[in-house]
Amino acid sequence: MLRLIENEVFKIIFKKRLLIVFGILLVLITAFAYGQDNSLNRTKARLAGRIGITASTDWKKLCEQQIIDLKNRLESPYGHEEDKPATRVRIEQLQYYLENNINPLDSSAAKFTTQFMEQSIFLFLPLLIIILAGDIVSGEAANGTIKLILTRNIPRWKVLLSKLAALLMLEIIVLLMAAVISAAVSGVFFGYGGWTAPVATGFRVIGDRLETLGVVNVPQWQYALMVYGLAYFVSIVVGTVSFMISVLVKSTSASIGVMMSALIGGNFLSHFMSDWKITRYLFMVNLRLTDYLAGSFQPVAGINMAFSVTVLSVWAVAALAISFVYFMRQDILV
Amino acid sequence: MQPPVLELVDLKKNIKNKEIIRGINLTLGPAEILGFLGPNGAGKTTTIRMIVGLIRPTAGSVKICGYSIADDFIRAMSNVGCIIESPEMYKFLSGMENLRQLSNMDKRITRQRVDEVVELVGLQKRIEDKVSTYSLGMRQRLGIAQALLCRPKLLILDEPVNGLDPAGITEFRNLIRRLAHEEEMAIFVSSHLLSEAQLMCDQVAIIRQGSIVKTATVKDILNTETVEWRLDNPVKAARLLKEKWGIEALRENGNTITAAVGENRLELINQVFVNEGIELRYSIPRQNTLEDMFLDLTEGDEIA
Ligand SMILES: Nc1ncnc2c1ncn2[C@@H]1O[C@H](COP(=O)(O)OP(=O)(O)O)[C@@H](O)[C@H]1O
Ligand SMILES: [Mg+2]
Repeated sequence: MLRLIENEVFKIIFKKRLLIVFGILLVLITAFAYGQDNSLNRTKARLAGRIGITASTDWKKLCEQQIIDLKNRLESPYGHEEDKPATRVRIEQLQYYLENNINPLDSSAAKFTTQFMEQSIFLFLPLLIIILAGDIVSGEAANGTIKLILTRNIPRWKVLLSKLAALLMLEIIVLLMAAVISAAVSGVFFGYGGWTAPVATGFRVIGDRLETLGVVNVPQWQYALMVYGLAYFVSIVVGTVSFMISVLVKSTSASIGVMMSALIGGNFLSHFMSDWKITRYLFMVNLRLTDYLAGSFQPVAGINMAFSVTVLSVWAVAALAISFVYFMRQDILV
Repeated sequence: MQPPVLELVDLKKNIKNKEIIRGINLTLGPAEILGFLGPNGAGKTTTIRMIVGLIRPTAGSVKICGYSIADDFIRAMSNVGCIIESPEMYKFLSGMENLRQLSNMDKRITRQRVDEVVELVGLQKRIEDKVSTYSLGMRQRLGIAQALLCRPKLLILDEPVNGLDPAGITEFRNLIRRLAHEEEMAIFVSSHLLSEAQLMCDQVAIIRQGSIVKTATVKDILNTETVEWRLDNPVKAARLLKEKWGIEALRENGNTITAAVGENRLELINQVFVNEGIELRYSIPRQNTLEDMFLDLTEGDEIA
């Protein structure tokens, strides 16, 4: 079995799929980092214009002032009890910036690496996965080599399983590439630090309110790990669904086309038809898992992390079941 | 007793409600070379796909070395090497990398064996080049190398000489005969080139519109001689042939008739003709070829 997986990885690498993914990542991340650097500089300039040169260059004073304000709010008898954890977390963050001499407006390699994945998880990352997975089975049907591998003394399910395993492994490599390129490229612009800076997480949605009682600060590297962990989960789901399409469709371009339009169409749907209940069961509208970490996001009312994870898992399991059943029974007529 | 290497029992296949294969029975023993002949669209490739388990028969069974392909796929396929239609390989890999891929799929295949088959098909010089740079003939060789990797007891080749030049065909023919005789391989070759099959095979099965219309050994076919007479009274001659020897004669045109007779009887027949007052211009024995038989059997198919 290991040798079969090795075969599949070898083929994907030789087809230069990984190289394409690497190239796209490099170009996009560089553009992203450059853009963010630009807009940060503009924000700073704007702030400087508004508040006055001294205030913006001396961001420490600004932080100290904010801390005093927040502390007052904590001690105020009129404050809401539920808001207090969030306020404390915010104070902790500001204190960290002061102690470590970090301007909170500035970005860092660590911040950028995290943000890049948060921004990519619902469209860009899935597209990369589709490039990787789209032809993993349909490619063999299209060039006829499927006859070569299905006439060995190996059962069909083993052939398919080795392809799936190779895909799941290569998804890890794609995420590693994204992380390493992000950190390396953005470091040029923002410096290579920031890995221990605190990030607030632990928000929960209860009913239609954002529940902040459980909010805590975690170091940036830990937050990044959570983001990339969720990204891997998303990759697995998108990967298995495109794997299924790749089994069902006999041409690579059709397979990639179907998945891309499903993905982009799904993103449209969630924008324009959010009150149409059935759209929430589509896998495409449940991909923004990282936004739940920051507590900012509800694409459709009533959707939360548990719901999204359940929907995605069901899609993945169903896609796998369909892939294997179809592949086992299929007549190979190419 | 050992089971036959290949046994097809009443094999049938419908595709989209159309009967493509209508009940094929065949057996093939070790060291035998069977030519599976038929015009394009007769169902050769479809039959082969069923033999190697790429498609499921609608009815009937395939057994390889006694193992059913449906119930015991792994053990059955452990004995098979095949090329189906054109020999597709991974074009973005080299010939050697292709063979390594396949040897990775079967524990029995050693590196040594890979080198051995490369040498056997004469691809040593180009084996490290990408398959995309190969000519059709070289791809055929690589296809055969691939099929031989696991030292199969049954070798299945679907139209293997397509794209080979005449020298390549001769070389290929010698290789096939050697494999059958030295390694006792049973070889199942499909073809629509009959002259080829005649030179290469021991037996032929002719398939037409999904049914086998004739099986015969090549030796028998070559031994049946046809004789052509030109004489003044073909009607009477035909009647005599029928009455005295039970031979059906064919009126070709005007004063010519042909009939299949044993060589030894020809003089006798001619004697009788003369005694009966038929004026005989000439009689020539014509060696029958598979091609003639094939054309007789499959006439009109290509147009329909
Ligand atoms: N995928 C398919 N769908 C429908 N009919 C098919 C398919 N494949 C083959 N056939 C039909 O099956 C018949 C036999 O085809 P095939 O086995 O390829 O013939 P051969 O190999 O002898 O040239 C042909 O008439 C062809 O039209
Ligand atoms: Mg064919």
